Amino acid sequence: MLRFDFLNARNLRHAISLLERHGDEARAVAGSTDFLVRWRQSGPGRWRPAFVVNIKGLSGLGRITYSPQNGLRLGALATVQAIETNAQVRRRYQALATGATSFAGVQVRNLATVGGNVCNASPAGDTLPALLAFDAQCAIVGPEGPRMLPLTEFFQGPGRTALQQGELLTQLTLPPPTPRTGSIYIKHSPRGAMDIATVGVASVITLEEDGATCKDARIALGAVGPVPFRASEAENLLKGRELSPDALGQAAEAARNAATPIDDVRGTAAYRKDMVEALTRRTLQHALRIAGGQRVPFEEQRRLAVQTAF
Amino acid sequence: MTTFKVLEQNNPRVDAWEKVTGRATYAGDVYLPGMLMCKVLASSRSHARIVSIDTSKAEALPGVRAVITGADFPEIRFGSGALKDRYILARDKVYYIGEPVAAVAAEDEITAQEAIGLIDVEYEDLEPVVDPLVSLRAGAPSVHPDLESYEGYGFTIEGGNICTLLDADRGDVDQAFAEADYVFEDTFRSQGINQGFLEPMACVASVEANGRLTVWASTQGPYQVRAQLASVLDMPLSNIKVVPMELGGGFGAKLRLAFEAYPALLAMKTGNPVKLINTREEVFTLNGPRHPVTNYLKTGVNKDGAIVAREGYTIFDVGAYLGAGPNSGIGHGLGAYDIPNFRLRSYAAYTNKVYVGSYRASGVADMTFAVESHMDIIAHKIGMDPLEFRLKNAIKEGDIAVNGSRVPRNGLAECLAAVKERLGLPRELPEGHGVGIALCEWRSGAGPSTAAISVNEDGTVSLLTGSVDISGSDTSLASIAAEALCIGMDQVIVAKRDTDLAPFTGPSGGSRIVYSQGKAVELAAEDTRNKLFALAADRLGVPADALVCAEGRVYVQDNPPQGYTLGQLAAMSVNSRFGPIVGNAALSTLPYAPVFSAQAAEVEVDKETGQVKLTRYVQCQDVGVAINPMAVEGQLEGGAVQGIGRALTEDMLFDPETGAVRNPSFATYLMPLALDLPELETLMVRVPSEDGPFGARAVAEPPGFGPPAAIANAIYDAVGVRIRELPLSGERVLAALRGEGSDVAYIGDELDELKRAEGLAG
Repeated sequence: MLRFDFLNARNLRHAISLLERHGDEARAVAGSTDFLVRWRQSGPGRWRPAFVVNIKGLSGLGRITYSPQNGLRLGALATVQAIETNAQVRRRYQALATGATSFAGVQVRNLATVGGNVCNASPAGDTLPALLAFDAQCAIVGPEGPRMLPLTEFFQGPGRTALQQGELLTQLTLPPPTPRTGSIYIKHSPRGAMDIATVGVASVITLEEDGATCKDARIALGAVGPVPFRASEAENLLKGRELSPDALGQAAEAARNAATPIDDVRGTAAYRKDMVEALTRRTLQHALRIAGGQRVPFEEQRRLAVQTAF
Repeated sequence: MTTFKVLEQNNPRVDAWEKVTGRATYAGDVYLPGMLMCKVLASSRSHARIVSIDTSKAEALPGVRAVITGADFPEIRFGSGALKDRYILARDKVYYIGEPVAAVAAEDEITAQEAIGLIDVEYEDLEPVVDPLVSLRAGAPSVHPDLESYEGYGFTIEGGNICTLLDADRGDVDQAFAEADYVFEDTFRSQGINQGFLEPMACVASVEANGRLTVWASTQGPYQVRAQLASVLDMPLSNIKVVPMELGGGFGAKLRLAFEAYPALLAMKTGNPVKLINTREEVFTLNGPRHPVTNYLKTGVNKDGAIVAREGYTIFDVGAYLGAGPNSGIGHGLGAYDIPNFRLRSYAAYTNKVYVGSYRASGVADMTFAVESHMDIIAHKIGMDPLEFRLKNAIKEGDIAVNGSRVPRNGLAECLAAVKERLGLPRELPEGHGVGIALCEWRSGAGPSTAAISVNEDGTVSLLTGSVDISGSDTSLASIAAEALCIGMDQVIVAKRDTDLAPFTGPSGGSRIVYSQGKAVELAAEDTRNKLFALAADRLGVPADALVCAEGRVYVQDNPPQGYTLGQLAAMSVNSRFGPIVGNAALSTLPYAPVFSAQAAEVEVDKETGQVKLTRYVQCQDVGVAINPMAVEGQLEGGAVQGIGRALTEDMLFDPETGAVRNPSFATYLMPLALDLPELETLMVRVPSEDGPFGARAVAEPPGFGPPAAIANAIYDAVGVRIRELPLSGERVLAALRGEGSDVAYIGDELDELKRAEGLAG
């Protein structure tokens, strides 16, 4: 059915009751940048809900706050543009800022929300690898009350999440980065904007006080599996080691081995694996530069993040 | 050079105000009382017999006013050209996934869409054929087994899927190959391309009180739509008025009848006006795109770089119904070169895919990619500079072109020289960077053209032509009239036309409007001027040849105060013995007038990802005279961008089993955006044409031809790999860098079979 009832949620409780009542027949929308496209399309993957629950008007869910104790809190309704331009995000969570800046185009970023990008659960979502790499926790509210869930457990498959009937994602929390941390997201896509990632890689590097040894490494991959995920083996190859080009190359190869992409209209599985290796190595190189204290202006990060403008 | 008052100036478009304020009306903006909405049911099968169609549930849905199937139309086939190989709505068979099978008119669009979902079609599947190289072979499933019974049928070869074979021969090719110092052969393959116009197809049909049918359409060819619509509805064409609305891009896709017949028949059945607007998905799946072209080229060259022979076999996949393209297989098989001996063959093969449509000189971009890549390969192999190799073989004034016509004066050599100078070629670039060139040629569009000009009492003129405005052509036509009539641009009113009002003219396509329609306007303006001069001469008592005009006045050359304004003459004319002043002109065609463009790309190749970044793009075209340099530059840039998309990212993907379009959206069919483009450097040379208006030449087609070859050649220069298949994606380049075979397969075996069928030695 193309027809749907458009229900405006007045507050969080109302939204939850609407979603609980209508179950699988309902879909929550905020920016609607995914919804309108999927609703219009006719083939497989189309969305034809009977009820559309608009949560965009819910107050207090669009805030972005940072504190050294609690880290970064992203309200689910924070727009991708707000994240991209947030000074704290740019300063401390470069991979998230670069993920946001590589996302679609400015008009879409102004509408799309981070909660929508997470709940859409596309393996190619541009904010997702960075959120995973920063160990984001999901705050979920539902009929049974609130609960927290690590983002790594939130994604269940393409388009499928851990949300139960009537539940809403309300906030994402990212722990404060430790000193000497640098990160970046690099997206490979044929076009420089308004394109979906063929492969996306986010890497976060934290150095020991010696400025050379890797204290922590986190690598997350997008568009090369049913869900975006952390390449743990690649991470483990780096922890406690000095980050020589060889070490980065080994991690990149491990990331490649962790990828399980498919062939689709955006590229073959084999090419995607090649890109995982190339992009992992590049993200690690740049994350290392930033962790080592090199100042990399946002405009340069942006050029690095959008692969076509290498 | 002639000094112009209006031409060669950057005049704003005559429709700029209505366009930028959003007031221009497109077909989708037409709203009529009681108007119904139409939706189309598309075939879900590649190739099937229709056993039955049950529309009863759809008809019973509240709000549905009528449902039509193929059986509601007269049993009349039509076609893009002479061969009539398709029904407007599927009758007993479907030939591709997406083919319209039924249409609904309902009180709103959603009800119409819901009704579509309630139509039950029972199919009996037939074996489809998707690959044109398979389709060519004897024994392949036959797409149109009854082809011989179709009107306009010419011949079939063996399996019967070959619906066109064109040939062009000169000299003794086999002898020339035998004597040549070197012989090179290559196979190239281009990809499926969507025209990418922003305004989807849209139309409204209404039956007037007098019984005539009015159709408001998004079309480049109102007279063609009228004729084809009359044919499929089996009614006199004089019963139909087509009103072409503002065109939101067409690029050839809107040259002919598209979906206008469904709202038309539904309007006749219901008595209400009916509107249809395609979704973007329908634009990709129902509306003829371009299919891949496979090109085999063989060239004999002597040590001094002179090309002595060319053999070319081009295979056009036309999908389910024959459309434009195959002509270019022979017309452009030599490129812009003088080659004494050649054998060119162009095949069109049916497949079970959406029928092929027209797009910006259909097929020539595919030919140019093959020919200009092949030229580059040869130049490198014989150790000659690619630009010098082209210049050595370039066609010149007085040579005989492939079509048998004498080549008139032209600016080909000047274009190559301008690009060479701009880039400082030959040029060494840093590691991973490269430069490549391509030479493009187009014959210029001609065809029937008409124009009428009447002079108003306030000194303005009203210009009436039947041609639809396409990329600012109304502005150019107004400029030509203004220049010829010694008035300003703002003194020319360009009438909104329809098929009742304006005289017949050919469609807006093939770079034909300014060149050919513009010539008609120039001639109509001359006719008008002669009449103005005759009246002025009569009233002033001087011979007409003593008169000149300037700034809206006709006056005695030796005594400027003695004269009249155009307004005065128009007012006088009403009661003069000559009557009101109206000038007109009609012409059928113009002589062969090729137009040339030289293009160059600079790229940077990322060796780890294969990604190609275009860092510079230079083009130079011989425009003859720039009617409006700003508009010419816009067309040249727009064309280059379309070609850059074709080179790098655009790729319509078809399922190899079913022929279904796999990426029917702008999210998956990637056209270049501003961020993907370097600053485009556009140069013009001006060698006036012999017949165009004020010496102008056709502009729009050539700029789009060059980028695929120029960029492929630049990639070779940068990293030493040759990509023979479009698009030049990161994946292909990376595979080639690793020495993996991403290359298009050699088609020698298929050719042997084709040659045997033709009686040539395989």
